Amino acid sequence: MRKRLLFIFFYLCAVTGLAMGQERTVTGTVVSTEDGSTLPGVNVLIKGTSTGTITDIDGNYRITVPGNDAVLQFSYVGFSTKEVTVGAQSTVDIDLGPDYTEISEVVVVGYSSKRKEELTGAIEVVGSDKLEQLPASSFQTALQGSVAGMQVTSTDGAPGAGISIRVRGVGSINASNDPLYVIDGIPVSSGSISQTDFGNGGTSSNVLASINPNDIQNITVLKDAASTAIYGSRGANGVVLITTKSGAAGKAKIDLKAQVGFSDIAYNNLLQGLNGEQYTELFHEGNINRGYTLEESQAEFDTYYPDPASTVWLDEMTQTGITQQYDLSATGGSDKVTYFLSGGYYDQEGITKENKFERFSSRANIKANLSDKLTVSNNINITHFKQRGITDGTAWEAPYYLAYLLPPTIPLKDEQGRYYGDHTNIMGGNNPVGQLYDNTRELQQTRLIDNLAATYDIMEGLTFSSKWSFDILNIDEFIFENGRYGDQRNNGGWGNEARTDEINWIGTQTLQYSKTFNENHNFDALIGYEAQKVLRDVVETAAENYPHPDLETLASASIPTLASSSRSEYAFNSYFTTLNYDYAGKYYASVSFRRDGSSRFGPDKRWGTFWSVGGGYTISEEAFMDNVSWVDNLKLRASYGVTGNANIGNYSWAGLYSFDRAYQDSPGAAPGQVANPLLTWESQENFNVGLDFALLKSRLSGNIEYFIRESTDLILDRPLSNTTGFRDLTENVGDMRNSGVEIALNANLVQTPNFTLDLGGNITFLSNEITYLPESFVDGQFNRAEGRDYQEYYLYGWAGVNPDDGAPLFYTDETKTETTSSINEAVRFYDGKSASPDYYGGITLNAGYKGFSLNLFFNYQMGHYVYDGPGWVIHSDGRYFPRSTSLFAYENRWQQPGDEALFPKYVAGNTSGSNTQNSTRYLYKGDYIRLKTINLGYDFPASITSKLKVRSLKVYTNLNNYFTWVADDYLPFDPEVAANGYYSTTTPNTKSVNFGVNIGL
Amino acid sequence: MKKLYISSLFAVMMLFATSCGEEFLDLTPQQSIVNEDFLLTYSDFEAAIVGAYDQMQLADWYGRYLPLVADVMGEDVKQNSSANRASEWAEYRGYADHFIPEEFWAEIYEEINIVNSIINSDFEAPEAIATDFNQILGEAYAIRALAYFDLVRIFSQHYTYTADASHPGVPIVLEFDLQSRPARSTVAEVYAQVISDFEQAISLMSITPSTSGTFSEAAAQALLSRVYLYMEDYDMAESYATQVISSGDYSLVPAESYATQFLDGNSSESIFEIVYTTVDNPGSDHLGGMYKATGYGDYLPSEDLLALMDENDIRSTLFLEDENLGGIYGNIRVNKYPSSGSALGTDNIPVIRLSEVYLNRAEARAKSGDDTGAQEDLNTIRQRANSAAATVTATGDALITEILNERRVELCFEGHRLFDLTRNKLDMVRNDCTSSVCEVDYPNDRFIFAIPNAEINVNANMTQNDGY
Repeated sequence: MRKRLLFIFFYLCAVTGLAMGQERTVTGTVVSTEDGSTLPGVNVLIKGTSTGTITDIDGNYRITVPGNDAVLQFSYVGFSTKEVTVGAQSTVDIDLGPDYTEISEVVVVGYSSKRKEELTGAIEVVGSDKLEQLPASSFQTALQGSVAGMQVTSTDGAPGAGISIRVRGVGSINASNDPLYVIDGIPVSSGSISQTDFGNGGTSSNVLASINPNDIQNITVLKDAASTAIYGSRGANGVVLITTKSGAAGKAKIDLKAQVGFSDIAYNNLLQGLNGEQYTELFHEGNINRGYTLEESQAEFDTYYPDPASTVWLDEMTQTGITQQYDLSATGGSDKVTYFLSGGYYDQEGITKENKFERFSSRANIKANLSDKLTVSNNINITHFKQRGITDGTAWEAPYYLAYLLPPTIPLKDEQGRYYGDHTNIMGGNNPVGQLYDNTRELQQTRLIDNLAATYDIMEGLTFSSKWSFDILNIDEFIFENGRYGDQRNNGGWGNEARTDEINWIGTQTLQYSKTFNENHNFDALIGYEAQKVLRDVVETAAENYPHPDLETLASASIPTLASSSRSEYAFNSYFTTLNYDYAGKYYASVSFRRDGSSRFGPDKRWGTFWSVGGGYTISEEAFMDNVSWVDNLKLRASYGVTGNANIGNYSWAGLYSFDRAYQDSPGAAPGQVANPLLTWESQENFNVGLDFALLKSRLSGNIEYFIRESTDLILDRPLSNTTGFRDLTENVGDMRNSGVEIALNANLVQTPNFTLDLGGNITFLSNEITYLPESFVDGQFNRAEGRDYQEYYLYGWAGVNPDDGAPLFYTDETKTETTSSINEAVRFYDGKSASPDYYGGITLNAGYKGFSLNLFFNYQMGHYVYDGPGWVIHSDGRYFPRSTSLFAYENRWQQPGDEALFPKYVAGNTSGSNTQNSTRYLYKGDYIRLKTINLGYDFPASITSKLKVRSLKVYTNLNNYFTWVADDYLPFDPEVAANGYYSTTTPNTKSVNFGVNIGL
Repeated sequence: MKKLYISSLFAVMMLFATSCGEEFLDLTPQQSIVNEDFLLTYSDFEAAIVGAYDQMQLADWYGRYLPLVADVMGEDVKQNSSANRASEWAEYRGYADHFIPEEFWAEIYEEINIVNSIINSDFEAPEAIATDFNQILGEAYAIRALAYFDLVRIFSQHYTYTADASHPGVPIVLEFDLQSRPARSTVAEVYAQVISDFEQAISLMSITPSTSGTFSEAAAQALLSRVYLYMEDYDMAESYATQVISSGDYSLVPAESYATQFLDGNSSESIFEIVYTTVDNPGSDHLGGMYKATGYGDYLPSEDLLALMDENDIRSTLFLEDENLGGIYGNIRVNKYPSSGSALGTDNIPVIRLSEVYLNRAEARAKSGDDTGAQEDLNTIRQRANSAAATVTATGDALITEILNERRVELCFEGHRLFDLTRNKLDMVRNDCTSSVCEVDYPNDRFIFAIPNAEINVNANMTQNDGY
């Protein structure tokens, strides 16, 4: 069929040529200078006319020219345009090179899009190449190390777990530090909105895991006020704009992608547990050290362990994880209607047994030009996922906690082949392996995001657009804990079911006008109105006393213990405008303004105003730069503005009576919250100056940014005298400054037809200071005080172990001149160590040789310290006897006078205070470099694909997290720790090896 | 051109047509009520007083730590090998950042604010419900009295530590003031407030509640007998004890139902107790869970206590054998709060029982020289538990010692021993000792809690207790 069409096409051309008399035909082939490949779809135009054609699939064209003077103009997106005078030639072959000077990439920004050279703010774009077939449940993983200024940490290796993102540091203390996520123009819910999060603190579930990364065209990260102020009271933590794929007119393209991968624990130095023999030795040593005889100790051992075993719990609970994903998409359309359709399936079996995540997703992005003035589009995405998780942290059911604490002398299974649970006097009879099977923690999320938009061109340059969006979320959580052993052994089992429904609707209306006056004065203005309401309903029930371990739903339980429902809502009402001006593509100015009203604040403080101004100066466009041939692009940008953070709970301003009380089964009320009608959003002044450059024919390009984020009116729970009946008052007190430098560089080292080599990297230097805080306060490992880094540790100074008697030593104070074995004689102090890195970023190496591509990606974070949250229990030197400890503690304990040991003397029921919390004993240097990805791919050449009758074929393999370097050899856990530096026995991060194939039809 | 104007106008209209008014942003909470809309009707007060009782259930107060700490700091309870919760206090190495004093302080002052908001409201009850309203008001006063009494006895040295009780007590807060940074009143002033509040409560309350789960006139009187005993005002202690005993409203439970009185609740001798139901569902977090193998099992009865009971004593049945224990820990566990299965943690926790009122009177009488009266009261308690027990013949100091030992047996695990030791200026000596600390001599700074640092840090007028 195709041949036939081509024939007709050529036939028509020939006929036309004949009809024109002296005209003649020129043919040729267009190839790329990069790799010599032919370029289909290149525009070939006879200059000064509207006559033209495009190259066919093999890069060939044929055009009829009026005579020898005709000039052919070859243009192709992303390549330099070339002009050739035909002369006497009948064959004109052309090679086109990539266009480095003309960066005409279109970047999505708030409520509109701009050409990249128009930007005055700090914006970065992550393309779909980073997102396709990502071996992770959420696109957020792909942002790690990719965007300068963005700190992305994956603290939980469980399938479907949350990812923490900080843009340019921590700007708020109590309000959220998460950026705003906007999908196709619509702010969506992010983070965890589950009721139980498997019993964790919101780190284990992630509503954004509903987005199939394969559906994303690109992600734009807005960092400074010039780009975020248009999001007003929600812009302060940066904005992540996600643009999903759309169709392009043309023949349908079908892409099929498949991948399978295997995963294991990434960190080689992860803490290990003891075996039975080691534990038994320690048991007796601990008892003898507290004054028992061996016989007394043995008698105690026998009461604890009637059938001593040697169970290495960590080995029993882990497995090789398997991830598989399949994605099928189709895109295409006519000049009237374009479409992108996709269906995806992602299935991950974690490294913890019975720990799973499975997602089904579909998307239809359809756009129709109803007339030459009216365009409508609808992007609809439906996702369902099911996650089976575990409890983290220091719960007695948390597997990665019990892996060290549960004595290995406890058998895995009992005589009946059931998981052992008779050790009720040790950690409540919990069995971390059995509970993975016998208990259930499930979360199912169904999410529908629909964006319906209409755009009407009123006249040239004037466009009205109306967008309506619904983000409908349903989360169903189910927990069952068996009644035979563990925490629910006395209750006959416990079941808990919670349903969360969230409906988020937004309507956005904008009117945009652009016009060019006198050729060089380009204006673009936009006004808009937006209303949003989010309503969340929760129903939660619980019951206990189950008749049979296989029956888990609450219907089987005999005693209902909880029946509850709650409802909360918030609303935003906003007016905004932006104005952009540029002169001759050389000077740029932009202004934005937004007025936000929020239900989250009291009637007196409800409305806030946010704004920004920005300017750009393209130095390389100046005449005096014409002779500086090694500079292709040089642009200076600066911006200043004010954004806000309204991301606090609802009704925080109101004095409230709470009704969460009952006595003798009657409902009760009590004052629950102090009123503060003056409470308002945190605001943030942002200053940014940046320099973009492209040098040496764009072989070296990049940008440098310097920024200052001044957060003021920080919302803090100011501690009150508890004699008032309240512990704290939510107030706007406190200022904080984040400042830093971001550098992103990309060097095109080798550029030959067969071989290319690119080296890129980014680095962010960040510093933080609390600039105003009337009263300092201790907050876990920190003491938040004016003049200090927000995350500077404030701890007891651990001074090691006394070699003479194995007693712990602490520094008495910050002078570190005297030591003491009594914690009561020591005080906590600052020691210049912070949880915030001095610098962090990523390094990329891309190599291409013929069809092969190799991509290496490193991510690093330096100069920070991390705190081992459960360390004081796991490494307690016998304090929690007969609980077990780690192999590292066993190997490094003090045993006899003269031992230079890392760990003190092991004493059963130790009361030396050696495990005092908030001591530098549990602090580690956090520096790490991780080889996040090695990706090796091969694109089959056209000679093979044509035989296979496919458009494209690619096979690849990638290794993730395969190499990790840490500065601290003793670091007992994965270095990727939450931004606050706190480690809490979560599922370790994983390394994986993946194999995939992409087929294009 | 006209068409263009119309389109533009239409667009602008569309832009603002969807614009919503201020009421769009006026959302009201669904799970709470704003202060201005509450305590306006009688039913609001019914809910508010329930809120106050709910506060007393908390683990940091009667739910666990007040009774637990007062017992584990004495000699009648010993630590199990895994003892964790409150062990810092059992070992006399507590500190000002410790969560127990911190939570205890915050939760009781929260209670004081809860009842202050009831006491200070402008509500004027209509004639028809004046009695009911006064009952609630009286209960609020009584709760405030008990709150201050509990604060002062754990954060301050006992009343007679100084001759005029002028040593530091706790701040007295009678009105809500967000900005207040109150200083400590003297112990004498705090006791005066306690007495005045109980007296006010007695004058307001006239309804006999259906259970002993809420305050009554008798509960206020009974507690006053204890307050005066602590103050060594033996006449008043005896007088209030007699008012309760001779009212005839309460009677000692017979020996055969003695063991289940906490499980069943609302016994004939219970004057005021904190009620737990499956709705509260404390499970193993209940005070009983600290002792039981089905809970955390952190603490065990000591031989010092067990030796005070002979086998015919009904109170010796409040224990269980546990073969999983061994060595120095013995093989006995406390079973005073025996709830189990799905009812685990629903034993009521006594605040005051008639048996204590007898013992209060016995001690008051013995210390004021009425040995006969004291012997009579002591016999009542002793022979109720053991009909075979010999009649008391001791007199003078020996009698006082017997009364104090009877308190240990009768009121063990109800949170009395620490206070009974210190107000009698006795040393704490553990003979059956599994702790790192086996003897603490009177007087001692460590017999009381540290003022929490959370308070010291924000309240410049607050002073720390000696020794912390």
